[in-house]
Amino acid sequence: MSAWLRIWTIAINTLREAVRNKLLYTLLFFAIALIGFGVILSTLSYVESERILQDFGFAGIRLFSVAIAIFVGVSLIHREVDRRTVYTILSKPLSRAEFLLGKYVGLLVTIWLQAAIMIGFFVVVSIGTGAPLTAAHAVAFGLAAVELAVIVAVATLFSAFTTPMLASFFSVGIWALGHSTRELRDIGASSESVSIQQATALFHRVMPDLESFNFSIQAAHGLAFAASDVWLPVAYGLGYVGILLVAAVAIFERRDLR
Amino acid sequence: MQSEAREIIRIENIVKDFRPGFGVRRKRILHGITFSVREGEIFGFVGPNGAGKTTTLKILMGLIRATSGDARILGHAVHETEFRRQIGFLPENPYFYTYLTGREILEFYARLSGVPAAARGERVASLLEWVGLTDAANARLQTYSKGMLQRLGIAQALVHDPKVVFLDEPMSGLDPIGRVEIRDLILRLRSEGKTVFMNTHILHDVEMVCDRVAIIVKGRIRYEGGVGDVVGGGDDGVDVVIANLAAEHATRISEHFEAPLRGVGDRIELRFAAKQTDEAVRMALDAGGSIVSVSPHRDSLESVFLTAVGQGTLAKGVSGSGR
Repeated sequence: MSAWLRIWTIAINTLREAVRNKLLYTLLFFAIALIGFGVILSTLSYVESERILQDFGFAGIRLFSVAIAIFVGVSLIHREVDRRTVYTILSKPLSRAEFLLGKYVGLLVTIWLQAAIMIGFFVVVSIGTGAPLTAAHAVAFGLAAVELAVIVAVATLFSAFTTPMLASFFSVGIWALGHSTRELRDIGASSESVSIQQATALFHRVMPDLESFNFSIQAAHGLAFAASDVWLPVAYGLGYVGILLVAAVAIFERRDLR
Repeated sequence: MQSEAREIIRIENIVKDFRPGFGVRRKRILHGITFSVREGEIFGFVGPNGAGKTTTLKILMGLIRATSGDARILGHAVHETEFRRQIGFLPENPYFYTYLTGREILEFYARLSGVPAAARGERVASLLEWVGLTDAANARLQTYSKGMLQRLGIAQALVHDPKVVFLDEPMSGLDPIGRVEIRDLILRLRSEGKTVFMNTHILHDVEMVCDRVAIIVKGRIRYEGGVGDVVGGGDDGVDVVIANLAAEHATRISEHFEAPLRGVGDRIELRFAAKQTDEAVRMALDAGGSIVSVSPHRDSLESVFLTAVGQGTLAKGVSGSGR
């Protein structure tokens, strides 16, 4: 059996756990309710009602997907160790790296499926209200999926060595900073202090630049975009995920599973 | 014959230190332990709580790393992955994904263990039958009793038909029926030619199923040898229980044969050397006593164990090598 099949076996089982977890259905319900609320809100506006509808939709999808990713991701590895389910699994011919990657892939597929359900609802609502759907919308959803891959990797990394509580703080912190790192860099650039300029520039380079995956404005306004606007963030996101997962595996490989 | 059997597990000078927390001094759990397990035997790894049994087993399973020393299973370093096709592991109080059914979890483990898809269904069904869980196969694990989970744990350890099976406290927390069931399963493993390594602190179970035993106390091996050597070997004398014997006769016989005397209610017990027994019994009968029982004396594993942990008085068989 190849390593890929073993990773996929863990991934499928992680997906199955999520499918049987009622709490995730509740979160999904609230996400869809938020998109539905956007419909009501848009009917109250005389101007740009379609934009309000889609802004709400984008925000709902991104926010709830990230919330679910962090909520589940922070305990992804920790819970397996804490509940000792990992003991029997790692006694099989399966490396720790394969186990961790399987858990990551399984959670990511779960989050993507949930996001797909929300997007499906968004599309139905948009079509129903006559709001435009363009290629930019597809790009926006695609880049949101890449952002989710980064967030799940961040949560997985922290889950590999700390408690869900601390991992939640760290993951939410990185998500919040990841969305402000560009602004911080720009503010730093306008500073007269060279050290502040360098510090904010370094911070921008090290932290995940999650705003690079935010394509919702282009989508909602129907703005034109170049191919590099798509593949550059995708390459950046995949590279970042790779680094995070290598770090997570390195830490998990060295851990004593007591 | 046993000494010629191949070594399946080899633990050599294993040391394990844990740091309980940041800034806290390291604590040594295992002090350079050494022992081996041979092919086809049921090996009992015995010790009181906190002696280092589970730590040793976790090192063997690659769950924790030894600070120093060498641990090998079937000649492979324990951190390797591929050789685990040949080993099975039942942890203490096994935990499984409770959202799965018995059949689903065994299929999951079978897939991970590389059991071919064509053979998987049949293998899982036969194992469920083997551990008596066929009727509960499609129930979720959250509805299983502790005994059922333990049997399922054994099934998952065997799902890929391993050569070596590791069991951590397989009978702890089970009711008498559950213990008998698990004991029977372990004996069936031996009859199928598997090597079994069993962590336990229940000495009766060790006496019932194990061929050899190692006793670990405070991270040091205090005894390693055959269970038969402990509980059955050697001339340890004969215990004779006598009733209705006057005290002066009892003392006289005891002094004559230099036999230790113990009072047991209105009866006395004397331990004679085997060759003295006939004469001693005749003397007791002549003095008006009645013989209640005559039985060869055997040290129990318990007495060896208590000596090893420093709470007993009998020293026989304890090799105190600190290995």
